[in-house]
Amino acid sequence: MRVALAEDGVLFREGLLMLLKAAGHEIVGACPGGDELYALLATEPADVAILDIRMPPEPDGGLTTAERLRAVHPDLGLLFLSHYAESHYLMRILQIGTEGIGYRLKEKVGSVEVLTDTLTRIQAGEIVIEPVLAKRLVERPRGDKKDAVSALSEREIDVLRLMAEGRSNNGIAGQLFVTPKAVEKHIANIFQKLGLHTDASEHHRRVLAVLSYLRSQRNEG
Amino acid sequence: MSQGPARGAAAGDLGPAGARQWLRRMRLERKLHDGASLRISAMSLRLGLLRGEAGDTSFQRAVGELQDELHTVLDELRAVADSIYPPLLDQAGLGPALRELAMHSGREVTVRAVDERFGTAVEGAAYFAVADCLAAWTEGAGPVEVTVDRERDGDDRYLVVTLTGVPACHAVVMADHAEAMGGSVEVTNGATIRVRIPCA
Repeated sequence: MRVALAEDGVLFREGLLMLLKAAGHEIVGACPGGDELYALLATEPADVAILDIRMPPEPDGGLTTAERLRAVHPDLGLLFLSHYAESHYLMRILQIGTEGIGYRLKEKVGSVEVLTDTLTRIQAGEIVIEPVLAKRLVERPRGDKKDAVSALSEREIDVLRLMAEGRSNNGIAGQLFVTPKAVEKHIANIFQKLGLHTDASEHHRRVLAVLSYLRSQRNEG
Repeated sequence: MSQGPARGAAAGDLGPAGARQWLRRMRLERKLHDGASLRISAMSLRLGLLRGEAGDTSFQRAVGELQDELHTVLDELRAVADSIYPPLLDQAGLGPALRELAMHSGREVTVRAVDERFGTAVEGAAYFAVADCLAAWTEGAGPVEVTVDRERDGDDRYLVVTLTGVPACHAVVMADHAEAMGGSVEVTNGATIRVRIPCA
């Protein structure tokens, strides 16, 4: 896979470069900031760009650069790395795109397998979310009991949480120790309860389900 | 008008001293992020590389355990950073930071906040007034509503934070933060705590 990288911390950038090389990926370039990455990708094609959220241009150059990149290279996968897993940034990331996008903690991509798995899923168009963040979003008690997500059963919430982590039906089945058929049934119920109609594609409804789930976790009046 | 007018005497005397504390805390948090935390994250990647290169499975397992240990250290540093000056408050302001706080509080907290910035010190004082109040109130936790607004009183401008649903006796926890910034705390209708801090 062709990977470009922007991160202002030299030590972390060098460490990630070594890991990417060990995983057999081709490094298109490594930059200290978003503007340099944007300039690089204007001439060099890549499959996935890895961006630190908190880097130049300050304060969150990773996000502003990604918005510009998505506009000119819609097929470029985007992986955000941060020292913090915050729902605030997740919402901003999902506003940039809901396909081929990921948000993970910096230290959690610390193996060839995890790094490659994350990049491969993003390149395949999935959403990859740091599991601890997806988990925290469901465990939080909510004030608004009237929202559609609160109509879901506990098992359906489990399925939706794993969808929010960007997992496939088979992946969800494996995690919950149920058959893929049972997962499909839960997902059909989730779509129905959230009012997502059958005229949209499966993938599109999946994204919408995840978004309404994430929105229901936000406390905006 | 972009320039804040002169504040009251109390704010003029106490504001700067109170403000310096928050600026220092914000810088400490940044130092922790840019220094130790990033160094440890990089170290975790280097260990991952080492594990990948090793042929011996017991060695691989030992390195994996070291990585897990570093992840725990990072979680602890994140908790320290949050208690010094939450990075999200620095980066995104009161609304996002209070929503994240609400999410971690383990109770029903609704946050309504203007999408504006008030400066490092005012935001720090307001955030920790709310955080300390919620932390102090451990019994009978019902739903809480937090609002953040900007208010004008003649030539003076204020950040106003209200808390509804928290027993009024907890207002005292918030007073230290507000008063160090030349602000005040009052309880209205016996049910709403109202914190007012002068701002630019």
